[in-house]
Amino acid sequence: MDILTQQLFNGLTIGSVYSLVALGLTLVYGILHIPNFAHGALYMLGAYVTLTSMLLWNMNYWLAIALSVIVVGLLGVLMERLVFNPLKNAPPIHDKIAAIGILLFLEALAQLMWGADYRSMSTPYGEVVNIFGMTVTMQRMLINIGAIVVMVLLYLFLKKTFVGSTIIAMAQNRKGAHLVGINTNKVAMLTFLISGALAAIAASLSSPINLVFPGMGHLVILKAFVIIILGGMGSIPGAIVGGYILGFSESLGATYISNDYKDIIAFVLLIVILSIKPQGLFSREGF
Amino acid sequence: MLRLAGLSVAYGSFTAIQAVDIEVQEGELVVLLGSNGAGKSTTFKAISGIEKPCEGDIYFEGKSIVKKSPDRIVKAGIVQCAEGRELFSRMTVSENLVMGAYVHRKQKTEVKNSLSRVYELFPILQEKKSHTAGSLSGGQQQMLAIGRALMAKPKLLMLDEPSIGLAPLIVEQMFEVIQRINNEGTTVLLAEQNANAALKIADRGYVFESGAVVVRGSSQELLTNDDVRKAYIGA
Repeated sequence: MDILTQQLFNGLTIGSVYSLVALGLTLVYGILHIPNFAHGALYMLGAYVTLTSMLLWNMNYWLAIALSVIVVGLLGVLMERLVFNPLKNAPPIHDKIAAIGILLFLEALAQLMWGADYRSMSTPYGEVVNIFGMTVTMQRMLINIGAIVVMVLLYLFLKKTFVGSTIIAMAQNRKGAHLVGINTNKVAMLTFLISGALAAIAASLSSPINLVFPGMGHLVILKAFVIIILGGMGSIPGAIVGGYILGFSESLGATYISNDYKDIIAFVLLIVILSIKPQGLFSREGF
Repeated sequence: MLRLAGLSVAYGSFTAIQAVDIEVQEGELVVLLGSNGAGKSTTFKAISGIEKPCEGDIYFEGKSIVKKSPDRIVKAGIVQCAEGRELFSRMTVSENLVMGAYVHRKQKTEVKNSLSRVYELFPILQEKKSHTAGSLSGGQQQMLAIGRALMAKPKLLMLDEPSIGLAPLIVEQMFEVIQRINNEGTTVLLAEQNANAALKIADRGYVFESGAVVVRGSSQELLTNDDVRKAYIGA
């Protein structure tokens, strides 16, 4: 029983990170129909920017996260302007090729700037606390709470603000958005900004319990794709629920099946969902 | 108010419209007639800035708008209600309407006034205001599409085949409303296959055939033109 609650908590933590990454991916896919493979590189850069600002400029953890959110968000916008916007009228395969190109470029850049070493990020929230009989670090609590706060803020932004509803409008009908006079370029930039910001938050929160290295985004982005296929491509609730489903399956699988097979679970889930319900759990109903 | 001068649009090597000249005066209701694929929708898309012409120019209130982006054209006062309706199907009726007033989003009272005007024109929309657009019937969706276009307070309203796929009784209502919108001061450019109904409410018309304007004239002239009667009215 003790192990079970501990593992459920771990699942929640991993799931929170997955959900945040998948949210950014699903937003860009749902609104602009771009499968952004480079999202994993944004996640990796988010971790490096936070780490560097803490080590080099002795920034406070929160300040470093804020800087990382801004830098990576703007990098997302830059990506949209320089790469995806010029490809707007090109066949969809070009977006995919370009996204992989950006991924490779950014990874090589990170390796050049920071080297290929594995680094660890220190956190001011390293102490261990006892909650409901579980022994957890404050950092893990922070990941869970932080993810929920970010999701609630995103929800409120999309549903309760006018700017947010233009994003939803464009997701539902791009031509309709043109017809009512929405500047679709601005919405596209905003979407990439939010997507980059989410990746930076996810990476900055999770890096203290993982490691920082140029290839850290690989597995995360692959799993994020599994999550949005599981939840329904472009669906926001799908990304959140899918993230937690994967988080729980991995932590329980690692305990009760084998730790070595933990990373396979995502892809088994992928095969299962594609055979049973290929449109995903939510099939975009939630947008 | 609106003038197309030698406008041509091509999709790849296919020329969709060629050297089209059209003029719309302020306060008029002008109809573009023609069968499917004759070039009416392409003309609308070019005016809205969604398709860029390869030749010719478009003037609105004396200024060329051919280089403007779609959102700027809406801001200038040209609003299109497209053939596919293009509603935000999972948003409610009232959310769709408010989104229609996107270019006036800062003037809250103005948006409220437009909203009550649209509800007055289409009482059914008020009744269904919290339903999603996708759950409405075809006729109601068309009303919502027109209502959403009106929310932007257009100087020139372009309606692309508003009667398509609707029951005859609804079509009649639809044309009455279009006439009313025009009488209340909005210039209307209408694309239709239903020539008989359209010419009854229009001031003037243009007949499209394979991408070019072949006949033009007042509604009276077109209604009595033998070629037009044969091709589009069937009498």
